[in-house]
Amino acid sequence: MDLLGNLAHGFAVALTPANLLYCFLGALIGTAIGVLPGLGPPATIALLLPVTYGIPPTSAVILLAGIFYGAMYGGSTTSILLNIPGEAASVVTCLDGYQMARQGRAGAALAVSALGSFVAGTLGIVGLMVLAPPLASFALRFGAPENAALLVLGLMMVGYLGGGSMAKGLSMAALGLLLGTVGLDPIVGDARFTYGIFKLAEGFQFILVAMGLFGIGEVLVNIERMVRPEVLRTRIAGLLGTREEWRRAAGPTARGSLLGFLIGVLPGGGAVIASFIAYALEKRLSRHPERFGRGAVEGVAAPEAANNAAATSSFVPLLTLGIPGNASIALILAALLIHGIRPGPLLIQQKPELFWGLIASMYLGNLMLVVLNLPLIGLWVKLLQVPYPLLAPFIVVFVLVGAYSVNNSASDVGITVIFGLLGYLMRKFDFEPAPLVLAMILGPQLEASLRRALIYARGDLLIFVERPIAATLLALAALLLLAPLVRRAARRRLADVLAPAPADDPHGRQGA
Amino acid sequence: MVRRDAAAAAALLAVAVAAAVESARLLPYGAVRNPGPGFFPWWIALVLGALALVLLGQALRPGAAAGRAEPRRVGRVLGLLAVLGLYALVLEPAGYPLATFGVVLFMLRVTEPQRWPVALALAALAAGGSYVLFGLWLDVPLPAGPLGR
Repeated sequence: MDLLGNLAHGFAVALTPANLLYCFLGALIGTAIGVLPGLGPPATIALLLPVTYGIPPTSAVILLAGIFYGAMYGGSTTSILLNIPGEAASVVTCLDGYQMARQGRAGAALAVSALGSFVAGTLGIVGLMVLAPPLASFALRFGAPENAALLVLGLMMVGYLGGGSMAKGLSMAALGLLLGTVGLDPIVGDARFTYGIFKLAEGFQFILVAMGLFGIGEVLVNIERMVRPEVLRTRIAGLLGTREEWRRAAGPTARGSLLGFLIGVLPGGGAVIASFIAYALEKRLSRHPERFGRGAVEGVAAPEAANNAAATSSFVPLLTLGIPGNASIALILAALLIHGIRPGPLLIQQKPELFWGLIASMYLGNLMLVVLNLPLIGLWVKLLQVPYPLLAPFIVVFVLVGAYSVNNSASDVGITVIFGLLGYLMRKFDFEPAPLVLAMILGPQLEASLRRALIYARGDLLIFVERPIAATLLALAALLLLAPLVRRAARRRLADVLAPAPADDPHGRQGA
Repeated sequence: MVRRDAAAAAALLAVAVAAAVESARLLPYGAVRNPGPGFFPWWIALVLGALALVLLGQALRPGAAAGRAEPRRVGRVLGLLAVLGLYALVLEPAGYPLATFGVVLFMLRVTEPQRWPVALALAALAAGGSYVLFGLWLDVPLPAGPLGR
């Protein structure tokens, strides 16, 4: 079937009443949690994972994906109106969005952000649709050595791009790989690190780890540093913006979309970095860089386009290689695994209804999001008035029910609480939970590929160098090890460009 | 904050050493041409140990960046953690509605103090509402405890 035929098939899947409803729910929940500081997309997806057990896999993915890209829309609302990023990917939107709001142009800022997000999201889907099938066919040539090399590169990139110190990111990845070894050996089936505890034979269940790290961990951190946001008392007028504003926003939206798409494809890339780089690029290209930070519409359009395009394109490595690039995508991978579907090069061929249904639902979801975010903006501002202390108990209850429902076992609740403590400590000590979660889910694949490759090559390590694809991937991974030096220099330049720095996210939230 | 970073690095180092020792003790390493169950954990423990040493070095380096000052409400966090731990223990004997009511009430009276009527009403709503939604409607077999049946 050709592209259009496939897409038509996808729309037939996405337009069924049930899937339309899941798509709408995803967009709605995504916007809500994007607006609410204190609850990020990974936490929400983790909380909703148990709910997706009972629905078909395609619907589950449509719902969870909607939450993920919907949060990118909602996150900008708080950045513009409160100077508090609802999501880490909207931090940079604060710089000019809030200034625009203070100058009485909140409406225009929200409109540029929502329509820019829509354009970028839609372009991102086109890119995903065009790029994913050939990439998947290419990846079909991968054997065990290539898979192992690809996973090593993926983990290195997550450590490198995940923000913060590379050593910290990689150490969390290593810890995740270790945690992933608890349970049955993937090749011979021996029990490892179970110490006679029957429960540990199945390993740490990913969903419990995710709910603990993201759900409980986030609540604990928020309780510790509670900050009460003040909504800017401004009348949201002029939602259409002026013609001049749209003219100035057009270029940044296009460039932000392209940049965001390219960065989002990289594992660990994602929406946060995309938004920062897009902002820096626009400031550099602008003939009036002095306007940035003082309410420049370009400074809203570019990062908002970039974070949406990146959110969409981060589905590329998941759907073609089976490698999740960020925590939210890892949780969507977990939802698929629960349904017995392992994403990889064969997914598009074997589950076309899932791949094309998801693509079509993204087009629909982006449309719904524009409607949800522009005319209904007043509603979302009201939602901000729900105080976090009243919201937190409901999040906790959701986690507790979710943890129990995995195996109907109270000890699972205990495991989740323990990982909640770990998630809290990680945030306290400035470690990102995302690399740990990704490594935990990729660990068994990495180990199996590595050991198979070694068995196949009779222990000859040269197999990773003699095969060109594996060698290239490993060379890239090795280059990344040198990257902290390069990054230190780049960060200094980025800091110069971005000054004045955005306010720290007072809720210490996880990005993307 | 140097001490904090160093403590985190030391904890990771301890995990790495423990993992290396335990995988060497419990699991057959095999050989490079036929790696056993202990092969991968052993090497990962080694990598983690090396990274922990790098982090330790960075933390102890003179002029390591000072962390930001944070509001300290650690007591509330520890209190909530203890209550959640207790929740896992009493969930089956006490039943879901009662145990959940307790956790939410604790959060609304101790973690983020609200007025009694608000706290009681919300705790009842959260516990009862979630029991009806998940237990009765979505058929999650939540333990009913003494209140059930």
